[in-house]
Amino acid sequence: MLFFSYFKDLVGQEVTVELKNDLAIRGTLHSVDQYLNIKLENTRVVDQDKYPHMLSVRNCFIRGSVVRYVQLPPDGVDVDLLHDAARREARGG
Amino acid sequence: MSGEEDATVREPLDLIRLSLDERIYVKLRSDRELRGKLHAFDQHLNMILGDVEEVITTVEIDDETYEEIVRTTKRTIQFLFVRGDGVILVSPPLRTA
Amino acid sequence: MSGTGEKVTGTTKTPTDFLKSIRGKPVVVKLNSGVDYRGILTCLDGYMNIAMEQTEEYVNGQLKNKYGDAFIRGNNVLYISTVKRTLADGA
Repeated sequence: MLFFSYFKDLVGQEVTVELKNDLAIRGTLHSVDQYLNIKLENTRVVDQDKYPHMLSVRNCFIRGSVVRYVQLPPDGVDVDLLHDAARREARGG
Repeated sequence: MSGEEDATVREPLDLIRLSLDERIYVKLRSDRELRGKLHAFDQHLNMILGDVEEVITTVEIDDETYEEIVRTTKRTIQFLFVRGDGVILVSPPLRTA
Repeated sequence: MSGTGEKVTGTTKTPTDFLKSIRGKPVVVKLNSGVDYRGILTCLDGYMNIAMEQTEEYVNGQLKNKYGDAFIRGNNVLYISTVKRTLADGA
């Protein structure tokens, strides 16, 4: 639940989602669910030359399981809050 | 269960718990390695790392000599969420070595 | 390697008994990728997540890395095997 809650708080902010097939999509986080499926809006593919077929895609749903990384906005990370949440999560199992 | 920072490793995830706020090494699938400060994790090994250095290792075969050419690509990312299913190995900072 | 006489722990009945019996022992963990990890098993859990100490990483039989502590995510594990300590493992 830790990261579900974290991403819910991040809704509205700009993130870059990197997929396991190396495609990287930047956009505004619209919503997230318990599987960490992600909906992005105002999307643009980071390497447009390599993926020209994605040029007209403006929003998308990303299945959580295909995500490798999410690059987070620096001001969207409250380090102390995360530490506490992680310790609580470790205790609760 | 009251001890605030129990330093014993009873289950493997304790090793990760004890590495919170420390720089760790993460070995990932598809020949990727990360070094960064561990800010959060869960039981799936989903993680948030800070001041991350990613190293990607690729091997190419030279067209003429058929020699293996090993290349590493580095980049840095300020804050990164890492999905746990790609994780192979996590190593805390060298406290025992 | 004969079927009888597991001297260390007596009769090993189930895989779980085996896993319980090897804590603190030198082991080889082989991953699906073929990479071997040699070290002292600290503990493991139901997902086969593994914590090890004094871990050495062998790729194609060659020592590639050493880790003081290492956590291995269970889904990558092909097998865990006990080993006799060799000189390479140190004393």
